[in-house]
This record gives sequence, structure tokens and C-alpha cells, in this order.
Amino acid sequence: MHFQSLAVILSLGLVNYAACIDYDGWLNIKIEHSLNCGTEKYCPRGNIALKSIRAGAAVVDQIHFNKGHIQALKNLAEIDSFYTIRTLVTSAENSKGTEFFSSVKAKAFLGNGLSDVINAWVLPNGAVIAVSFQVTNASQPLSLESGTQKINSNFYLRYVEQAPVPDTATYIQKLEREREAREKGDLKDNKSFLAKYWMYIVPIAIFVMISGASNPEPAAQGAR
Amino acid sequence: MGLLSIYFKPNFLGLLKCLNKLNWFIVFFSLINLSVCIYEDQIGKFDWRQTYVGRIKFSQFDTVSTAKKIIVATEENVLAALNLKTGQVVWRHVFESASTGNIQLLQITEKVVTVSGSNPYLVRGWNSATGVLQFEWSLTLQNDEQADFSEWWVQNDMLVHMLPVFGSHIEVTMYNLATGQNRGSTTKLPAVWANDGCIVTAPYYTCIHGPMGNQQLFSLDVTSNTMHLISQPLSEYVTLSSYDSNLRPLDGNGIIPAFTVDDRKIIVIKNSRFELLKTDVVDPSASVAIVDIANGPVVLQTWIDDTQGFSMRANSVSTGAEVSELRTSDRELRLPDPEVSAAVCTKSAREQLVCRILLTGGDDSVHLMQQGGRILWSREEALANVVAAEFVDLPVSDLDAAIESEFDQKEGSIWAAFSRRLQTQFQQLQTLVHSIQSGEVLEDDPPSALVRDYFGLHKIIVLVTEVGKIFGMDNLSGSILWQHYESQLDTEHAVLYTRRAARHPPHDAYLTVVGKHQETGNGLIISLNPITGSLIGERVLQLDVQLLQVAVLHQADNEKLHALILLDKDENVQILPQSAAPLVENMFMYVAERNTARVQGYALIYNGQTVEALRTWLVQLGGSADAGHRIVAVAGKAAGERVHSPGRVLADRSVLYKYVNPNLVLFLTEGPDPLHKDVVVATCVDAASGAIVAAQAHRRARALPHALHTEHYLAYLYYNDKQRRNEIATLELYEGKQRWSGAGAAFTSLWAERAPGVERLAYILPAAPAAAAATATERSLTDKHVLLALTSGAIIEVPWAYLEGRRGGGEEGAMLPAPAPEIMLAPEARLNYNRTLARPRQLYTAPAGLESTSLVLATGLDLFYTRVAPSKTFDLLKDDFDYYLITIVLAALIVATYSTKYFASRKMLKLAWK
Repeated sequence: MHFQSLAVILSLGLVNYAACIDYDGWLNIKIEHSLNCGTEKYCPRGNIALKSIRAGAAVVDQIHFNKGHIQALKNLAEIDSFYTIRTLVTSAENSKGTEFFSSVKAKAFLGNGLSDVINAWVLPNGAVIAVSFQVTNASQPLSLESGTQKINSNFYLRYVEQAPVPDTATYIQKLEREREAREKGDLKDNKSFLAKYWMYIVPIAIFVMISGASNPEPAAQGAR
Repeated sequence: MGLLSIYFKPNFLGLLKCLNKLNWFIVFFSLINLSVCIYEDQIGKFDWRQTYVGRIKFSQFDTVSTAKKIIVATEENVLAALNLKTGQVVWRHVFESASTGNIQLLQITEKVVTVSGSNPYLVRGWNSATGVLQFEWSLTLQNDEQADFSEWWVQNDMLVHMLPVFGSHIEVTMYNLATGQNRGSTTKLPAVWANDGCIVTAPYYTCIHGPMGNQQLFSLDVTSNTMHLISQPLSEYVTLSSYDSNLRPLDGNGIIPAFTVDDRKIIVIKNSRFELLKTDVVDPSASVAIVDIANGPVVLQTWIDDTQGFSMRANSVSTGAEVSELRTSDRELRLPDPEVSAAVCTKSAREQLVCRILLTGGDDSVHLMQQGGRILWSREEALANVVAAEFVDLPVSDLDAAIESEFDQKEGSIWAAFSRRLQTQFQQLQTLVHSIQSGEVLEDDPPSALVRDYFGLHKIIVLVTEVGKIFGMDNLSGSILWQHYESQLDTEHAVLYTRRAARHPPHDAYLTVVGKHQETGNGLIISLNPITGSLIGERVLQLDVQLLQVAVLHQADNEKLHALILLDKDENVQILPQSAAPLVENMFMYVAERNTARVQGYALIYNGQTVEALRTWLVQLGGSADAGHRIVAVAGKAAGERVHSPGRVLADRSVLYKYVNPNLVLFLTEGPDPLHKDVVVATCVDAASGAIVAAQAHRRARALPHALHTEHYLAYLYYNDKQRRNEIATLELYEGKQRWSGAGAAFTSLWAERAPGVERLAYILPAAPAAAAATATERSLTDKHVLLALTSGAIIEVPWAYLEGRRGGGEEGAMLPAPAPEIMLAPEARLNYNRTLARPRQLYTAPAGLESTSLVLATGLDLFYTRVAPSKTFDLLKDDFDYYLITIVLAALIVATYSTKYFASRKMLKLAWK
């Protein structure tokens, strides 16, 4: 296996998310797949290392696919099967590691030049609950001229946000404000005269119209 | 009405200026919900309630008071009085469902006395006629570990409490029944022979003790002042070679102390000695009771005979002679494992024996039988524990079916079609003539014609109960149409699937219950016709493997049957029927482990011969398996749910598109947290790809097992530990102002590269919820309302508009009052008005044929059915629509038109002559 260092450092909107995480520490995600592995079921595809969960910056380090890998993927694509990736997440608190699986359609992965998005979801206590792989629309076909092919992975650390709480404070404030406004003077009704009293005007208008319509008859009779 | 009330708002503001804002809000709310409440004459018109008590534990005939009743105490911790003539509940008290409500003793003297709870015990006395509590005192035992072996009975107005300490002694304490005063101290009787196989036949405590082969039968009257121990070698009664140490007290309410040994011999204790009865136990499974009839006590036995069916026999205790009046055998009566709960016999004026025998079956049914075997009434107490329910459409009538099949046939020449047309019209004419001829006869018929009505409101509710009995119920009347008892069925987590609707005429409707086998835990599949209740197709199929997950194939085979896909423990896939395997395409399944919060996804792939399950994803919703998180609720979308509108119009006339992912599943997990005690995490997982779409966490909260999920709405309930209140969190998922894919394009989970926007809010729920559901309508055109069943026994209808995560953003946003953080549970929004439901457990909704209407069934100890119209009945004339008035007005108008025409012409004529 020839590893070639490839560093993709992503900076996220750290300020927004920092509050969600109660815990900080390092995180290591080992990526394995079952392409061209020989006798073993899974063999390494790469590694993602994070120095700090709170910072979210990751170093993604993955192998290049050789012809053997591409052929194995093509075999999977022929039967429209899945390319399954196994990940093992280790952290300072969880040295044993937690296993996750995710799959993409082999056909889609090949068709988009081996581009994928890796999402890792983190609970507020720093535990990873899922690592999912999804194919992105890269629209750059596989170049088979060169012997090896680079995997284009984008890694995102997603935080499980804190849920909102019932907003009692602003509601009470609003009630207070309204009460104050009422105490100061009546609520300013900025609607127009017509909008305010249309329900009185309309019946009167109708009444006038009806009486107006019935009046001309005797007049017409008189003219005759 | 809703719209109109908005325009009248200033009026009300003016009126209610003196009132504070909150009061105004309540008034406003009540205006909007005007349509929810019903008129007095509509009570019971669209709804029904059935009250149940549960499986009978103790029962006794109340012969003291004038109105004859049966007082029952049940496994569901209910004390109730049943009318002797009709079997209806006269009064009912529902105790706590936990062990604090366990009823230990029921005794009827002039009062009904119960002992309930488990250390501390509560002794209560009730008025038997009204059920009013008359006295209550509590009792706490010092010896808490032994307290579970306590025995209670009433003797001479004293409550006897007996506590055996095995291998050592018996403690007997007597209390004044009404006051709880202790007569003296506790008596300790030495009894080294006491063990856990002992039984109480008041006032005797009977045990078998001794070395194997030389066992002795001991019996002691624990209430007598002089201790007199009766002992006899057991070999006098049974041959010890076959003996397996089994004493059994008699069923019913024993009038003389008696028990059975080895399920074969009956022994009574008379004059301080054992006496072997001449009558033997007929069948090892027989229920034996001693009943007092006019000429001395008799031994009453009931059992199920292989050839005779249900059988009953009575023999005199003293002579052993059979009482012929009580001999019964009935092959028609299906009463598995009959048990005599209570019996009473009297002599009528003409020296005839009149008996009332209360029988409880293994299927939890209760029957009152009179002498000669006639059943006076039956109650299906299994319905107090419904685990799954499904609404099933009725088939169309033969005539409609003929018309449908006529239009179905596309091929054929014009002449063939014409002749077919004539033929069907002739048939229609024939049936018309026939119905006119026998018009009166047909009207007298009960509503046996189970055919679909015009509005699709008439359906069959199939209910699966905990005991393994499946019922088919008419939704309009609530009457039971058919029942099927499967004693082997363990219905824990059982699922129900309608695999073929009734609208494919040559084929019957097809419904499948998937449960577990009682003993082995293997899959057990029952297929039946939901209209008739007869077994069809696979009938009762016992699998030889435990099941992980079950699903129904979305594509029907050429018999219009949806195949059942079973994923077993070894991740093998079975398709029922096997012939449907080639139809498996783009099929995904997930398996969630409740205790570890581990969720796995499988893709099912057909490889030409068999279907294989390929594990494609795995997520650990708790972080890791040992983090202590567990799944509390899972909410997916209902199968075949429609979404009427793909977007939502905002106040500025722009459209916000909904994120409608059919594969989305909401998982609600809870677990410990080092910082915040308990956390609740709600995770929306795409079950096809395993990707997480949205997630949020609540700190210091505990999850409640109620979540709902329709269209792009998600809601779930949790208990906020910090504020000590129940809250409801809502999520709405939106694609944004632009559509991700073109209109009509199929949604795919495997190409999800964009994340939807999530609108979220939380509201305070000022009540304790017991169940939650969203209304469902045929085309989802109608508004969605959330139905909440509360532990107080109410079902409240809350419009989604009051819960939505995106507040005030909609077109209707301007109309709504400012978002109050607390949901108003208006009394008018209560679906079951004053019919309180005891222990509601689950709500089921189903669309009716009418778009405006959704059918609702609430299960629990009671069953309640009603229908709701979230957007009012816009497609139906009002219930009190005055047909006469409009006819009269129309007729009068026509008459007036012609008469004025006539008079006008006459007037014109007169004018012309002037």
C-alpha cells in the first residue's frame, strides 16, 4: 500500500457551533473498504484526523485507487451494487473505537470521478453517532490514462444542535410591552377609517341601494 | 368561519378591552375552534365508547343488594360492578397501573372490601350499589422482603393477614375491617413445614412437606385460638410415584376449604380432618369449584373435551352423585381454558335449579352461563389490551364490482362492449326489481351487507390484542364481526399489514399479522380475510427462525397481493409468497436495537434466484453501544401517504418548498450525560442511505415514547427535567425557495448532496400525554391536526398551525395570534367531550373516503372511535341541513314566480284597457 499524503484542511463556521459542544478532544476516523483487499474482508482506504472536535479542522489522508480498485468498483457497478465503507472512530474517551458502515452506489461513485462527501455527526458530549458517505456530483469523469486515481473527499463535521426551548421570555416581554402601551394610551389603530368600520358601512350602503332601487318605480308610474 | 372571525376581530377587541390579553386569547382560540365541538344531539352520533375492565382476577356475585351485580377485580387493577342481566359496567374504579394498584383481595359482605397495593397496602370499603368509597386505611408491613407472600382474607368482620416465613413460622395478624384496629399482637405459629408450594384455603394453610416418597400433607387453621395441626401421609390420596408436588386451590369462591392434589384428587377439610371426595378431577386442565346449591354443595368442573368441546359437570360433595341440570357440553362455544370465576345457584319457586356461572376463558373473554349451558352475555375483555389496529376498506357491492369490471376491460370490439353494457344494465334492472319486490324484507336485515358506502366512512377495524385474539370490528357501530384466537401468538411488537385491499373483486382482501411464537420466539404469521375473519393464504404459518424485521413490498404481484419480506436473525431474507421475489427492487430495510440505539440498514437485492440482504449502513445513535442510550420512539411515514402540495406559500407570495423524503425516519433516543443528567436526542435518518438529515439534542430531559411524522412535519414529546413539565418539540424540513428536482421527479435518497433547512420550535404542553397521532385524509388536501390523548382521559385536537416550527411565516401567519409558548388545550377541542377514557394507550387514524374526514380510534382500557374534520366538513352538507325548508322555499318561489307572472299579465292587460 502506498500512502500519499493529501491534506485537506477545512475550516468551518466554528463560532456558530462551538457552543454546542461540551467536550473537546481529538478524533481519529479510520476508513476501510473491501475493494482489492485480497484475503481480508476490509483493507484501509485512508484516515481522517482531527486535533480538536470543537475546531473541526480535519486532515484527510487517503490512498489513490489503482487499476485493481477501479476494476473491482466496475464489477460492483455492473450488478448495480453498493460500495461499502467501514469506518472506525477513536477518540480520547473511546480508545476501543466505534464501528460505522456506509455505502454508496458503485456506479454513481465511478461516474463522478470518485468524489464523495463524508459527514460525521457529533453529539454534544463529543461522541460520533454516524459517519456517512455520499457521492457528490463532480461531473469530472474518471481519467483512466494515469495509472492511479485520486479520491476527492470533502469532510464535514456536523454537530447535533441544541434544541430550542419554549420561548417564554419574549412572550412575557411582549405581553408586558402591550400592557405598557395600553396603560400609556390606547393602542394606536393605524388602520384607515374604511378598514376599521367597513362592517357598519357596508350594510348601510346595501340598505341605501335597496331602498334607492325600489324608489324609482312609483316615480316612473307617476311620469306615465 | 375561521376567516370571518378574523374580520370581526376588532369587534371583539372593543368588547373585551377590559379583559386582559390572556382572556382575549382564549376567546379568540375558542372562535377558531368553533367547528370542533359538537351539539348535544350529536352525542354518540359519530362516535362510540366501549368500556372494559380487563381479565378477571377475582369475582363475586353481589346477592346482598337488590340490584343484582357481579363485582369483579381484574388484572388491569380495575374494580367494577357488572350488571347481571346485561353484562354492562355499572360502576368502575381504575386503580394505578403499577404494582401500587394491584388488587390482592376482593371480599363482598354488605360492603365490597378490597386490599390493593404492595406494601404499603390499602384496605378500602366500597358501597356495592354505587361504588362510593366508604372507608380506607393503610397498612405497612415491617418485613418488606417477605411481604410479597402475604395472604389476605376476611373472617367475621376481621381482616386476616397471614405472612408465612418459609421453613420457620407463620405470622397471623387480625385487623378490624372498618377501622384497621389491631385486635392484639401478631400471633406467631411455628410451622417448619411451610414452603413456597403452600396454598391458602381460608382459614386453612395447607402444605406438602417431607422427604421424597414419604411426604406429608399438613394443614393448619391459622385463625383458631387452639393450634390444631392436621397431618396425613400424602400416599393415602395419590400414588407417590407419579407425584410432582402440586397443590392447587379451587377456583371460584370456596364455601368450604378444599383443594386439588396433583390435579387429580379433590380434598376438603371438614371437622379438622382431610376428606377425599368421591369425585375425581375429570381432566388435568379442568377448572374445579365448589358451589352451594339448594341441596348441599356440589363440585363444579369445566374443561375442554377433545370430542365434546366445552363441557361442564357437577357432582354432589357428600354423595358424589351427578347433578343432571348442570351437565353441559357445547361444541359451538369456543371458550379456550375455561375457568369458573364465580357461581351462584338458587332454587326457584317451582323447585327448579337456577344457576349463574361466570366463566373466564384463556382468551380473556367473560361469559355468564345459566344452567343448561345457555350463555346470557359475553364480554371480550381482551380488547382492554389492544396492541395493534388497522382500518380496512370494505369491498364494493357486487353491482359496483360488475360496473367496475365493465370499464376495466379495455380490449374488445364495439359490439362486445355494447353487449356487455346491455348485459350489465339488464342485471341492474333485475336487482332493482328484486329489491322492490323484497323491499320490506331487506330493510329488516341487520347491516349484514358489508359493502363500501358512498363516502367511504364504513370500514372494518382489525384489532390485535395482547392475549393473541384478533377481532374484526364494525367502525360505525363498534360491534364485533368476527374473532380469531391464536393461543400461540405472542403479540409483543406485533405488526399488521393490509396486503391486499378489498377493491380487487375476484380476490379477497388479505391481512397479515406478524408476531412471535409464545414459547420459541420464532416468527408466527397469521393471514386472514379482514372482512370475514377466515384464514386465507398462508393461514397460520410458524417459522423456524426469529425475525428481525418485516416489511411489505410496495409492488403488488399479478394477484394484486403485496408480498411480505421477512428478515431473520441470520440476515437471510424470505419472501412470502416466494414467487414475488423478482419484484424486489430498490428495497431497503432498517433494524433498530432498542437498548443499544444501534441502527443498521439493509439493501435487498434480487440476484436472479433469491433475495439477499446487504448491510449497507450502520449508525450508533448513542455514540457507542455501551453509552447507555436507548431508542424510545421511532416514527416513519405512513405507507402510501400522499403529499398534496409540494410547497408552502409565504406571506410575500413566494413559495417555500417542503423537503418530503419518504425514507425519512425519526429516532428519539435518551441516555445519560455526564454534564446534563439525561439528554434526549432526536435524529432524522434517511433509512435508505443511512445519512443523517437533521438532529437535535435536549439537555436535562427525558423522552416520552410519542413521536409523529407526516409530510415534512415531525413532532415528539419529552419531559423537561429542569422545568418539570412536558414539552413538545416540532421540526419542519424545507428544501428552500427553490426546488431541488423538477416537479414530478422521483425522490432519491442516494443522491442527497444538499441538506434541508430545519425550522424548529418547542412548546409547553400543560398536560401529561399518553399518545399522539396526526390526522390522515385521503389526499392530504385537508389541514393536519395533531391528536393528543392525555392521561386525564381526554383526546385533544390541536391544529398544526399552533405547533408549527415555522411560526408566523405562512400565508395564514398574519391571522394567527402571537406564538404563545404554551399550547392551549381548549375544552371544545376535546374529541371525546365528557366521555373520559381510562388509560388511553394509543391513537390510530385512517383516512375516510371523504376528503375532509379522518377516522380516529383510541385504544387503552376503553375503546373510543370518532371522526374528525380538521378543515371542517367542506365536502359534506351540514348534519342539521334542513332539506324540508329548502324544498318548501324552492317550491314557494316557483309558485310565486308563476303566480306573479299571471298577476303581472293581468295587470298589464288592465293597464292597456285604461
